[in-house]
Amino acid sequence: MNEDRIQTFTEEIGELKLRGARADREHWLLVLGVVGLVAGVGMAIFGGFQASGSAILEDQIAFLATGTLIGLALVIAGTALFVRYSLARFMRFWLVRLVHEHRSETDRLISALKDIESKLQQ
Amino acid sequence: MSTPILELRNVRASYGSIEVLHGVNLTVGRGEVVALLGPNGAGKSTLIKVASGILRPSAGQLMIAGRDATGASANALARAGLCTIPEGRGIFPNLTVRENLLMATYSGHKLSDIEQSTYARFPRLAERRSQLAGTMSGGEQQMLSLARALATDPVILLLDELSMGLAPLIVSELYQQVAAIAAEGVSVLVVEQFARTVLGVADQAVVLAHGKVQAFGKASEIGEDVLASAYLGS
Repeated sequence: MNEDRIQTFTEEIGELKLRGARADREHWLLVLGVVGLVAGVGMAIFGGFQASGSAILEDQIAFLATGTLIGLALVIAGTALFVRYSLARFMRFWLVRLVHEHRSETDRLISALKDIESKLQQ
Repeated sequence: MSTPILELRNVRASYGSIEVLHGVNLTVGRGEVVALLGPNGAGKSTLIKVASGILRPSAGQLMIAGRDATGASANALARAGLCTIPEGRGIFPNLTVRENLLMATYSGHKLSDIEQSTYARFPRLAERRSQLAGTMSGGEQQMLSLARALATDPVILLLDELSMGLAPLIVSELYQQVAAIAAEGVSVLVVEQFARTVLGVADQAVVLAHGKVQAFGKASEIGEDVLASAYLGS
């Protein structure tokens, strides 16, 4: 590989835009899901009460559209985010537990083999 | 000593709240083959993800050619010349060999040039040029993934589990190709679960266990005891 290629590579790396520090994105998406869910339920209930409390059809439609429908959309989106990231967390902890148990089993197996080896040598 | 082409400085990486890499240091010099060894769950593939920009480290630095590249996107790094061959080869099984090579022309190289260099390096692929990649043997698929990576004129090559699902003879043949690639000046970081297969061609070896570097040194100096302790625990 020639020096020119390395030089070009080094220059291109130097020109790369770097992303700034990022907080735990998953955590914030989970929080966003919960907030969306709660806000959606609130808006749906509020829209429903406002619509039922009004005798004017146009107002009822407006309350249903802006309150109930947007609220329901928020509930669906919030629930999807919450389920997605809660499940990811749960699965990861489950995986860690499996790995931990596997390691413990291996340690026990090695210890048992060492015991057998020492007894055979006696 | 010249600046390492790839360097990880005290890198920590996590998935959500679970930390997988706990302060890993690693350097790859120019034209060097570094073997990354370790048992399942050691953090090898995570380290490759960090090195390729797919996963952003939660702490530490990714240095490439002496420049801080922490946080650079994977596609920008790939475009510059850091090429990753993922576990499972990453070829398009429903495309022919030639069409797979066509996918590498994004780097600006002509298909005819790519084909010429590929078939010179892997004559078996010339015989299979019109065959669907998914119908080839595992070894041939791995050759194709290597060929496609080389077509982009990489400076750094990251290989994840090259030997997965392949016969020992094929693996040995592929590692000879890896050694030839490194001799041309490409730096190679290769993740391998089966230590013996890679130590023959590697200059340096890093043994990773539980997300930490257990041993680092010349490949010829990594002893059986170090590997046994990393793979089996002690």
